[in-house]
Amino acid sequence: MTDFSRRQVLGAAATTAILAAAGLPFPVLAQQGRSSVTLAIGRDIQGLLTPADRTGPIEGNIMRTVCQGLIRFKPGSFDWELSAAKSLTQVNDTTIEFELNPGLMFHGGFGEMTADDVKFSFEQFGKIGADGKPAGYAKDWAALDHVEVTGKYTGKILLKSAAPQLWLVVLPDNSGLIISKKAFEGGAYRSDAQPIKLIGTGAYILAEWVPNQRVVLKANPDWKGTKPTFPEVVLQPVRDPKTAELALRANELQFTPVEPADAGEIEKEKDTKLLKQDSINYVWIGLNVEKPPFDNAKVRQALRLAIDVDQVLAGAYNGTVKPAYALMAPGLLGYWADAPKPKPDPAAAKKLLAEAGHPNGFKCTLTLMNKPTFQAIGQIVQALWAEIGVQVDLQVLDAGAYYAVGKGDSGKNLDMALQRFGGKADPAFQTQWFVASQIGTWNWQRWNDPAFDEASAKAASTNDKAERNRLYIEAQKRMEASGAFIWLTHEANIFAFRPWLKPAVLPNGDDMLYDRFTTA
Amino acid sequence: MSPTLRYVGSRLVTTVLVLVCATVLLFSLTLFIPGNPAEVLLGPRATPEAVAAYSHIMGLDRPLLERLAIFLGNVLKGDLGRDVISGRPVLDLVLEVFPYTLTLTLSAIGLAVLLGVPLGCYAATHPGSVLDQVGAVTSVAFIALPNFVVAVFLVLIFSVWLHWLPVLGVGRDGGWGDAVLRLILPALSLALSWIGYIARLLRASLLEVLGEAHIRTARAYGVPERRIVYRNALKLAAIPTVAILGLGVGRLLGGAIFAEIIFARPGLGTLVYDAIAVRNYPVVQAAVLVVVGVFTLTNLLTDLSYLWLDPRLGRRLGEGR
Repeated sequence: MTDFSRRQVLGAAATTAILAAAGLPFPVLAQQGRSSVTLAIGRDIQGLLTPADRTGPIEGNIMRTVCQGLIRFKPGSFDWELSAAKSLTQVNDTTIEFELNPGLMFHGGFGEMTADDVKFSFEQFGKIGADGKPAGYAKDWAALDHVEVTGKYTGKILLKSAAPQLWLVVLPDNSGLIISKKAFEGGAYRSDAQPIKLIGTGAYILAEWVPNQRVVLKANPDWKGTKPTFPEVVLQPVRDPKTAELALRANELQFTPVEPADAGEIEKEKDTKLLKQDSINYVWIGLNVEKPPFDNAKVRQALRLAIDVDQVLAGAYNGTVKPAYALMAPGLLGYWADAPKPKPDPAAAKKLLAEAGHPNGFKCTLTLMNKPTFQAIGQIVQALWAEIGVQVDLQVLDAGAYYAVGKGDSGKNLDMALQRFGGKADPAFQTQWFVASQIGTWNWQRWNDPAFDEASAKAASTNDKAERNRLYIEAQKRMEASGAFIWLTHEANIFAFRPWLKPAVLPNGDDMLYDRFTTA
Repeated sequence: MSPTLRYVGSRLVTTVLVLVCATVLLFSLTLFIPGNPAEVLLGPRATPEAVAAYSHIMGLDRPLLERLAIFLGNVLKGDLGRDVISGRPVLDLVLEVFPYTLTLTLSAIGLAVLLGVPLGCYAATHPGSVLDQVGAVTSVAFIALPNFVVAVFLVLIFSVWLHWLPVLGVGRDGGWGDAVLRLILPALSLALSWIGYIARLLRASLLEVLGEAHIRTARAYGVPERRIVYRNALKLAAIPTVAILGLGVGRLLGGAIFAEIIFARPGLGTLVYDAIAVRNYPVVQAAVLVVVGVFTLTNLLTDLSYLWLDPRLGRRLGEGR
């Protein structure tokens, strides 16, 4: 024991301190080269890496980088350009013809992409899995009848009915990605086989996935398109947004999404840039119209009038987002520019409550997810409703419990929920959750309006853009009249990154084009 | 049978009983959750046929006791089920991340011992000195500060301001140097409160032992003070500290979750955290079972270590006194 002399201990401590100050043993000090870029992702890969059964945007972004679709989105917009296809033409309402670029090679020795792979990839969405489970994204290709292969590189996508949303939420997106039939049948894309194989023809290869540690994408040497700027993209799962912000400041990450409330503070940091773009997502409070007292339209109206949306957004989002007045965000087809913009009026709200038989208010529960921003919204709303006598208990749940709460019969007991859905470029994606058939699934308002369902269905099955615009506005008017939706915001996407980096993010904020990240 | 063997035998029986009870409790986890776990797992898009098929795969359509028997039988065979999301054997997932949690836990406890024991010894042999008083204040401060606050401060100081140490992950190249650097901050953030605990506890028990008759006798015989403290007194005074360390290893194995999240490290904590978020019960059950197993084993080893530290205990405990 204690064989060290005091002199030895002091000497060792001094040496360590000098080395530490010089930074010699600490590789983190070394300036990272630009051959690699490390980007934060909110969670690790979960589940399959197939377009039909992907779990969410994390997997989708990786797949989009490794696989090609016939067309793809341009950075920062929902405009598309040709990708694997040499041409893609809508011949009539139910026929789309395609011709592939020849010579697109699947990496890993799985051969050239052909029209057979296109057929296999798209028809995969209609198949029932071995476990009796339909494909997770089966709805995306619900209009598909079949794909007819007319040549090695040519074919026809034959639809059961007109499906305009294919051009914005399917073909250029993850559900339009083309996988190798041969690789799939050989066991690729499966997460229960390690190492997982994601085979594509895109700009990058999934070179390494170390669960819970990193996903490494390396530039595909066979890629014939524009060479990506970074030979390597490392995706680092970081569950805690604050940790990601600290890691960015420590230069361990070069890009991360940030919480709106923290944006101001981060903006002050030198060597850090912020990208802020208005989103097309939507956050709202949904009232269960089947459950008293919310089955009374005057109660719903009163609750809405008591909320000062600007105050809620200032408190919860630090003023970084704009208020929403309807389902569709500005810029989308069906955006309702003239939607009513109600001013907060607690006196009128109290009067309506009295007319509805609740002069002293009532008690109820607002269910929300355990995210800091949502909890802040809940607390502000709680205070605002207390002014008109409505006592709200906040039921804060983790994601698993939250997403189960509105489902099936348990949804009948729900008073109201603070909800946030991600948007896509076509309005059909947004309206699909509020139809009657979604009651007990995603329509937690349990709102049943045949006129809304009819307008949504008509709009989703016509290629007439003006008519679609009219129908979607009509549908939103029905939502407005119901009073079941208290719209809060379409959110904003805020990302922090090193000034030399130029990220490529789609307008919904969840979807990234990693192969288009470049230097500023 | 010797008293020591009897004591070891009784502790082994208790350990097995604890493990069986924990396994049964874990099995009942799925019974207390509202709704059908298959429905929760498959999500809202699942058809009733898919839910029925998954319920069958998960064995939810079988009688309760049969399910329990199957579960216990599978656990005994080392089959902890399959991850419902990836389809991989759960044991593989747990074994992949367990070394990271174990390394972090042992590093934190090792660091706490390395700093806490000398501090405690010094404070006991120099009671009332300036360093003893400073040590008392800092120890209490370390104990009182929540680990996650310490972690954030450590990151701010050593990573953001000084750029000395990395924040994220466990290292990429498999190099020991990088892995050790990435271990320093999480281990230190976990260790700090334990340094305080150990220093205070050891000081108190050492002071007590140093006042005992046999120590006075040793002093009267002229045995050097250093030898008395480190050879005789410390071994006896270490028993309460070892007991606390045994509990500490168990607590850190299950409680290193905040360090794993803040420092984006793989481990049992993050595995359970992610699994709970998506109601992936087989993973939760397996990970918790492993933590319970290691916790119980650590406590067994801790109890057995008393016999080495003070052989008189074995005789007394074996005689039921």
